[in-house]
Amino acid sequence: MLKIKKLSKTYPSGIQALKEISLDVPSGMFGLLGPNGAGKTTLMKILATLLEPDSGTAEMNGIDLIIDKHGTRKMLGYLPQEFGLYPTLTAEQTLHYFAKLKGVHDKKERVALVDALFERVNLADARRQRVGGFSGGMRQRLGIAQALIGQPQLIIVDEPTAGLDPEERNRFHNLLSETAGENAVVILSTHIVSDVSSLCSQMAVIRHGAILASITPHQAIDQLKDSVWEATVPREQVAALKSRHQVISSQMLGGQARLRMIAKGAQPGEEFTPATPVLEDYYFDLVNQR
Amino acid sequence: MIRFTALAYALTSDTRYANMINPFQTRFAAIFQNEVRLNSRRVAPYVLMLFSVFNAVLWSAGLDATYYGQEVLAKYGRLWASNSDYYITHNFSGYALGIFGLPIFAALIMAEPVRRDFRLEIDALIFSKPVSRAQYLLGKFFGSFLVLVCCQASFAATLIMFQVFPTSQMFVLPFRLLPYFKHFMMIVVITYVLFAAVYFTVGTLTRNPKIVYGLAIAYYPLVFFYGFFFLKGLPPRWRVLLSPLMLREVQIQTWGRSPEWVDQLVVTYTPIMFANRALVILAAAVCLTVVCLRFRIAEPPAKPENFSCLNLSAGSEVLYYDPPILQPTRGSTASEIRSVRVEKAEAKATAVPSVSSSNTGLRANLAKLAAALGVEFRLLRAERSLVVITPLAVFVPNLELAFYRVVPEGSYSATYATGTARTLLSFLIGMTVFYVVESMQRDREVRIEPVLWAKPTPNSVLLLSKFLATFLLMLSVITIAGLTAIAIQLLRGHAPVELYPYLVTYSVILIPGIVFTAGVSILLNVVLREKYLTYVVIVGVGAGLSYLYSQGYNLWLYNPALYQLWTYSDLTGAGGGRILTQRIYWLALSCLCLALAHLGFRRKSAKGFRVNGRLGSTGWALVVTVLSLVVAVVTGSMIK
Repeated sequence: MLKIKKLSKTYPSGIQALKEISLDVPSGMFGLLGPNGAGKTTLMKILATLLEPDSGTAEMNGIDLIIDKHGTRKMLGYLPQEFGLYPTLTAEQTLHYFAKLKGVHDKKERVALVDALFERVNLADARRQRVGGFSGGMRQRLGIAQALIGQPQLIIVDEPTAGLDPEERNRFHNLLSETAGENAVVILSTHIVSDVSSLCSQMAVIRHGAILASITPHQAIDQLKDSVWEATVPREQVAALKSRHQVISSQMLGGQARLRMIAKGAQPGEEFTPATPVLEDYYFDLVNQR
Repeated sequence: MIRFTALAYALTSDTRYANMINPFQTRFAAIFQNEVRLNSRRVAPYVLMLFSVFNAVLWSAGLDATYYGQEVLAKYGRLWASNSDYYITHNFSGYALGIFGLPIFAALIMAEPVRRDFRLEIDALIFSKPVSRAQYLLGKFFGSFLVLVCCQASFAATLIMFQVFPTSQMFVLPFRLLPYFKHFMMIVVITYVLFAAVYFTVGTLTRNPKIVYGLAIAYYPLVFFYGFFFLKGLPPRWRVLLSPLMLREVQIQTWGRSPEWVDQLVVTYTPIMFANRALVILAAAVCLTVVCLRFRIAEPPAKPENFSCLNLSAGSEVLYYDPPILQPTRGSTASEIRSVRVEKAEAKATAVPSVSSSNTGLRANLAKLAAALGVEFRLLRAERSLVVITPLAVFVPNLELAFYRVVPEGSYSATYATGTARTLLSFLIGMTVFYVVESMQRDREVRIEPVLWAKPTPNSVLLLSKFLATFLLMLSVITIAGLTAIAIQLLRGHAPVELYPYLVTYSVILIPGIVFTAGVSILLNVVLREKYLTYVVIVGVGAGLSYLYSQGYNLWLYNPALYQLWTYSDLTGAGGGRILTQRIYWLALSCLCLALAHLGFRRKSAKGFRVNGRLGSTGWALVVTVLSLVVAVVTGSMIK
């Protein structure tokens, strides 16, 4: 389990990216949700030993992630939100290089590992091509492959599916689920709520550098039981309804507005019918409330 | 954001009314002001200001330190007045000539304005506003040029200040302001209108700042060849008219004259000089016209990206759908979801094998260093510049030996070895700086740093791989140049060929020189972080040292290249011990630079000097720092 305690980070520009956040991350897939600028990437970078926090601790398997950076890097698989690769190296050379840096010195083992990783990310046919000629999706897949080198116990993936087509996104999700296994912690930072709902057994919502909630997706959905309502109303009524109720989404359809709102307790109006809550409802409710 | 909104507002507002109300609210003015503001956030203008102030201090207060100043002081008891007409023009001429790299700084400021908009992808936002090409380009040009002139003015301002606060060795006439303004405008500002226009035109039309920087570096040989081969042969009138710098024309020969005679000189401009300045301004206007006519908003055609023809995933005929079972239905646990996903995985999916890894101990780190070194070599091999620079570095030092009469000093081999070493060292220093800076900045430029830095690799491996790759590259250049010299020696029949002179000369003179250059370049990269700033500082310091050496200040303690301080007999004879001490001094300083670079490296490894009861990498770096410092101090104090 990864234990984060009172982690704070303020950038030299004065922006307080993290405000004493504490979080317990169990083994398995953990989703970190939040809008842009919430502090997700800052937290990821601190956990990946690339950024120094101002205060606080993070500990996993007896290793202090803030102090013992070398120890952390040994068990880490990191896929940043934005990254590049040496364009003149081939995919194979790149992966062998990263495997060597990860301490996989036995050539036989390394070759087998690299072969398997190429198969898993569907890049076996492109392994001898220069990375400079790769498309965005191929580069992303190579990034994923390098993050999985050497049985990492802590995998941090920051917006990993950006640039992937739906098929590859699906494949990547499968790969992550498998890798998470029983002992590894996989932190998936994203703003795509459906990714978290379909993959993660635990999640946290972060906004303005603070953790708003740490919960399982099912608990989150359960919290909104009998509270989500839907209605199709004339466009003119939308403003009045929004002022009275907590509208979480509105969609215009042929002059009519399809509203989805949260009203705990009583039915908000005759035109409203109960709706099955989904994780998006919980997320928007939480983010808009505070 | 507010500034950009202001710019966008100014660009979109109707100029018919804006012009009537306030000329500073036109689109041209908006772009001009924004350019000044953007430049004020850059490092280059401030560095140029510092260099200018430093130059002014050196040339005003440090005049008595030069040979000529000392001679005048000894003969007449005082120096020329630092604010005499002659000395003001003398200073401005030297400054405009660019002894301390002014043309390179001008290129740094003028190459980027338009390209920056394209790099930051703000071009589409600007060009979607009703702004004309001329408004945009002239706003950019004059905004940047104003910043350049303000930086240059810091040189003039420091000279003016020395009238009020002179040093004890300075002689000052009554306070004056107008001559400074007049000569600054005539000699510096008008000259640099042309340079700025040329840099801006090339930078804007090619959108490749490297070409502009290349042009700035080529300025020095171009000025030399233009003056030597073209102007020299012209009649005096034409020479004055066609000299872009107008240097010799405003300077008067003062050699052997008393300070009183020099002080009473008044520098005036003849009509032909005014015509020269008008011609320079006209040439700048032509450049700006060309850039206005030729500028295109569209990106220049780039080499098409070589996309691979892969059958991504299962092929295009398969439609994607999100399996409904993967949505979190109440009652289904995460492990259930996971098992479904695993079942759905393709049959060909290969299990990722378990591997053993080793990350501690000397052996593991040496293996990582070898891996990193291998990649550095692969990346170096892809550098096209090597194809041009290496043959030059190999053949230029051998040219004289190949085509001119060789007089043996001791032996032919010694003459060949020393002859090649002197010129080769300049090439090696330049190449070392270039390849170290490029390799140090490459990881950030290709954005591989976060991936690389998250691996359990010590900082020493990351830094040493770059150091060793450059060092080994230089070693191979030395070897090829030496073999070429031996081949020439054989072809010319200058037998016998002895290896010892080559080995001793190259190992004592060349190798410590490149080791120090690589070490100090790595340290500067770590400290300054900015690639071009690092280049500017290295070129500035190098030019400054060369200037000092040419003035006779070539002491051992600040002369890593041993410039003018060695002959072959010194290496093998009685002077050998002294030179060896000096080389140990510089090697110790190289170690110090590398250790400091390790300590200051942005990627942090471990907090504290001890990790798990043993000395950590920071601790080791500190030990090396102290040891190198001790060796440098001891050997430095031994050098006489």
